[in-house]
Amino acid sequence: MSLPEFRLLRPSTVEEAVRYLSQHAGNIRVLAGGTDLIPSMRQRLFEPEYVLDIRHIGELKGIRQGAEVEIGALTSLTVIEHSEFLRRHYPVLAEAASTVASPLLRNMGTIGGNICLVTWRKGCGFCIKKDGDLCHVAPGGSKCWAVFSGDTPPALLCLDAHIEIASSAGLRRIPLREFYTGIGDSYRRLEANELVTRIFLPAASADYRGIYRKLRIRGSIDYPLAGVAVVLKRSNGHVKDARLAITAVNPAPMLIKAAPQMLEGKAVDTNLAEAVGDLAAKTAKPLTTSALTPEYRREMIRVFTKRAVLAAANN
Amino acid sequence: MSDFSIIGKRTAMVDAAGKTTGAGKYTDDLTLPGMLIGKILHSPFPHARIKRIDSSRARALEGVVAIVTGKDAPNPYGILPVGHDEHALALDKVRYVGDNVACVAAISEAIAENALELIDVEYEVLPAYFDPEESMKAETDLIHENKLHNIEKDYHHVFGDPEKAFGEADYVAEGRFIANEVTHAAMEPHSTLAAFEIDSHTGKPGRLTVWSSTQVPYYLQHKLSLVLDMPMAQIRVIKPLVGGGFGGKSEVIPLEIIAAIAARAAKAPVKITYTREEVFWAHRGRPRSIIDLKTAVKKDGAITAVKARVVQDGGAYCSYGVVTILYSGALLGALYDIPNIQYDGYRVLTNKPACGAMRGHGTVNVRFAFESQLDEIAARLNLDPAEIRRRNLLKPPCVTINGLRVQSYGLPECIQQVVERSRWKQRKGQLGKASGLGIACSHYVSGAANSIIRSDMPHSTVNIKIDRDGGVVVYTGASEIGQGSDTMTAQIAAETLGCSLGRVKVVAADTDLTPIDIGSYSSRVTFMAGNATLRAAEQVKKQIASAAARKMNCAPEDVVFREDKVFRKGDTQGQSPTPLEPTQAAVSVSGRVEGQILRGSLQQKRKEEGQKYFLTFEEAVVAAIDFHGALTGTGSYAPPPEARGGKHKGAGVGPSPAYSYSAQVAEVSVDEDTGEVTVHKVWAAHDCGRALNPVSVEGQIIGSVWMGMGQALEEEMVWKDGMLMNPGLLEYRSPSSTESPEVEPIIVESVDPEGPFGAKECSEGSLAATIPAIANAIYDAVGIRLHESPFTPERVLAALRARKGAKPINLTEGVDPTAPRRFREHGGALWFRGKGPERHPLDPARREAADAGGDD
Repeated sequence: MSLPEFRLLRPSTVEEAVRYLSQHAGNIRVLAGGTDLIPSMRQRLFEPEYVLDIRHIGELKGIRQGAEVEIGALTSLTVIEHSEFLRRHYPVLAEAASTVASPLLRNMGTIGGNICLVTWRKGCGFCIKKDGDLCHVAPGGSKCWAVFSGDTPPALLCLDAHIEIASSAGLRRIPLREFYTGIGDSYRRLEANELVTRIFLPAASADYRGIYRKLRIRGSIDYPLAGVAVVLKRSNGHVKDARLAITAVNPAPMLIKAAPQMLEGKAVDTNLAEAVGDLAAKTAKPLTTSALTPEYRREMIRVFTKRAVLAAANN
Repeated sequence: MSDFSIIGKRTAMVDAAGKTTGAGKYTDDLTLPGMLIGKILHSPFPHARIKRIDSSRARALEGVVAIVTGKDAPNPYGILPVGHDEHALALDKVRYVGDNVACVAAISEAIAENALELIDVEYEVLPAYFDPEESMKAETDLIHENKLHNIEKDYHHVFGDPEKAFGEADYVAEGRFIANEVTHAAMEPHSTLAAFEIDSHTGKPGRLTVWSSTQVPYYLQHKLSLVLDMPMAQIRVIKPLVGGGFGGKSEVIPLEIIAAIAARAAKAPVKITYTREEVFWAHRGRPRSIIDLKTAVKKDGAITAVKARVVQDGGAYCSYGVVTILYSGALLGALYDIPNIQYDGYRVLTNKPACGAMRGHGTVNVRFAFESQLDEIAARLNLDPAEIRRRNLLKPPCVTINGLRVQSYGLPECIQQVVERSRWKQRKGQLGKASGLGIACSHYVSGAANSIIRSDMPHSTVNIKIDRDGGVVVYTGASEIGQGSDTMTAQIAAETLGCSLGRVKVVAADTDLTPIDIGSYSSRVTFMAGNATLRAAEQVKKQIASAAARKMNCAPEDVVFREDKVFRKGDTQGQSPTPLEPTQAAVSVSGRVEGQILRGSLQQKRKEEGQKYFLTFEEAVVAAIDFHGALTGTGSYAPPPEARGGKHKGAGVGPSPAYSYSAQVAEVSVDEDTGEVTVHKVWAAHDCGRALNPVSVEGQIIGSVWMGMGQALEEEMVWKDGMLMNPGLLEYRSPSSTESPEVEPIIVESVDPEGPFGAKECSEGSLAATIPAIANAIYDAVGIRLHESPFTPERVLAALRARKGAKPINLTEGVDPTAPRRFREHGGALWFRGKGPERHPLDPARREAADAGGDD
């Protein structure tokens, strides 16, 4: 498939970038790593007149430590995976990044791109999300159930990450948990003239034990078919604080809101871990894909949650 | 083996450098001046009548040069003479989502793609068939009018007296096995470049040259001639480098003909390269097979009868289907000694892309069922699974009950090797929690003894030309597709002529230059083209020997060729009493030779030098050319009549001049909470007759195991109403390197009496053993029998739950509240309307908790 024609815009500052976005709002796509945008454009999911190549905005690359941790949206997943600082203090994020696709794609793919991930493939014809009126997974319905399949957002949700969004009106900052809508075809709260620029990890989230578990058929390349992130802090053998999030089983990555109360103040044992697993499985609404049945994937949320909670509590 | 200087040595592929540096040219790398790009319009419906095609809007687009449809080349074709049911572009009906409707040739890919959207096609949608067992009941809206009940072909074979044997058996095992559909997923997508020369006399398109990613240049030339109404002599097919075939390029794929039709209409060269999605639609992979298998044994484990009913979901066209369904039955024989066989095979048409030949053609799925059932029987009889296989060995040379001649038979040694190396006896059943070992065997043909074109012509012919420069050029139609065909050819020629490998140049797979070879499929190349090369080389060698003998004053039979020298038997070059130092001789003679020495001066030279004790290869060649004129040889191979099988209907498929044998042990572990299976190691012994190039044999064994593991654990084509839901390498999950196990290839050499230097096939036979070896290892690990491949985590977990009587995992009913009736049919077909077809009582997914693990 050929790449549709477009005009390439290459800003070198955030200001320049958001100016282009305002000028061409609705007719422009952002290229960061390109690992999803380019195949999607070849498949004609998007045919924008303009492509905004933000890869030359140097200030959006890299990890900075201060009162909080600032990660530029253009930081590659490889850099996150191998960052000694993140591995020590925010291990769940480094682990989640290390499971994305394959090494080659992680060299290109960015953390901002993974947060904004569009997981949709033309593969088997168009659907509600693009040009069609048919939903392959929930026929008869008019709601889009396109699943969100990013690996790093559940880890970031557990870490209570915030994101910075730039537009010509200035910068705004929101908790990542408010970014996702839960509706497949309008899955994120990002206006056409806005750009995700930075991710912030609060100092209070540092030094949690963290585990990310990903269900996939292959040991590499695959998107998650289910994913569970857990962070946990202990005090005297009891859970002081814990957070749990799941991905790839709903149209949005989701924090399991009741999990912290269940775990707080308790010593984790198999029964407790199982109860948390049941809770997470109840939240999961997996739908049909070309691999693994919804029921199995929900079951794996249960198993993976149990294992992740036990591992985080006992390692 | 010390008798050989080239054969049996680990030899780098002769085409390795081009492939590894990127300098090698595949079809898509080629361009011609004025070349256009072709794009094909595919059907969006699984079954529909084409009422009207209006391409006027597309034609008006600037940059579009030609648009062709079915009526531009209406002749039907198909790879089998009995299956001419395809049109390059649909004439009146489309039969699967992805069927070919029209082709645009334009000056760029983007313009061609845009033009496709401007072609208006009016369809009348017809009822479609997706499930083979449903399709077999069809009365109306048949996929092909002349195929009643949508059955392409059915065969019913009875050898011996199976009923009696079942009656007298001590134990009978019975089960339904399902192997879901898989495809080749070769790295290189299909690509074809077609160009006509303008005829000098008529001014019309004349000779056609086609460069194509094909395993079968000669068949392509033949089908092009048929569809384009051109004499074969006017068509030249050239095969550039091919990036893997695995059977997917072993027949004529629509784009290969469409490119030529478009080039004729456009009066310009046209190149078409499939997208990955189109490769999946072109398919021709391994059909989903439903196998009802029954095996009768005596108490000691001796198999007395086998009864198999096989239904193959063949897709919309015949393709190789008739051969596939016959292989499934025929190769029940020739592995073990089975005195009574009943086989009922049904090749069924459905509205999906056509299935065809894929590595291990026809044998793989049945072997999965058979080896699994044999393991069940061993457990039932409390026999060691390796031992039960030993108790059923053939006693070659012999002819099996279904007419297959077996000569060399390395299976016993294969079993012994894998049992020893895996420390089977010490470790089987002793690996601890959820880990296990499994064994299975397989075999495959070294080429079919009867070619698909019913003719007495040789299956392979090879020409060799040697000139005064001492260069050896081998002209062979055999197609290098990555399996090592060119290297094998060069090795055999060099070994036979006693010259170095660097002296040999292989010109292959160009129908203008190379004699007919029927192609690279059914693992026939080493055996057949190898034998033809050997014979051609021996013919030239004879001419050289007679000339050299005169020079050395000995009998031609006493002339020995080795390491670029020709000497008398008994003399070795090291002990040669010649006064000249060998290298000096080479220099001084070749300095004067250079194509100028006349017979007289050569005689003068000989007189001066007296009798020679050895000649360099160049000297010997020059002498031979001087005495005989041109130095050429030709050799061909046709399988011997006694290897061609029985007389029953369908007896033509299965016989081979020789069979390869494999035994494998797999070591796996199973995660009992998730159902995930990890293969840790596979010991794979393969009897290839003789390993001409051991490193190449090992590569083929490892590749077979890996591909078998893909089918065993991960790969599956998933359908929804005839639409492929995973037509890409992201969602069609071939294994990645991370989950690939260690494979220990073990070469077993039974030295076949008819193979070239004793060699047999080594590229396909190993694949079939991997799937049941893994299945049997899973049983050893966790006590479940999996009757449906691939053994995805959900199928494994469902079986584990059933065995434990735990909460069942429902693999069919959906959990989506908005679509409560959604149904995921086995084989991944997603049914959205109603509940899909009724399941067979023995269907693996229907097994009740009670009997899931209770087969022993």
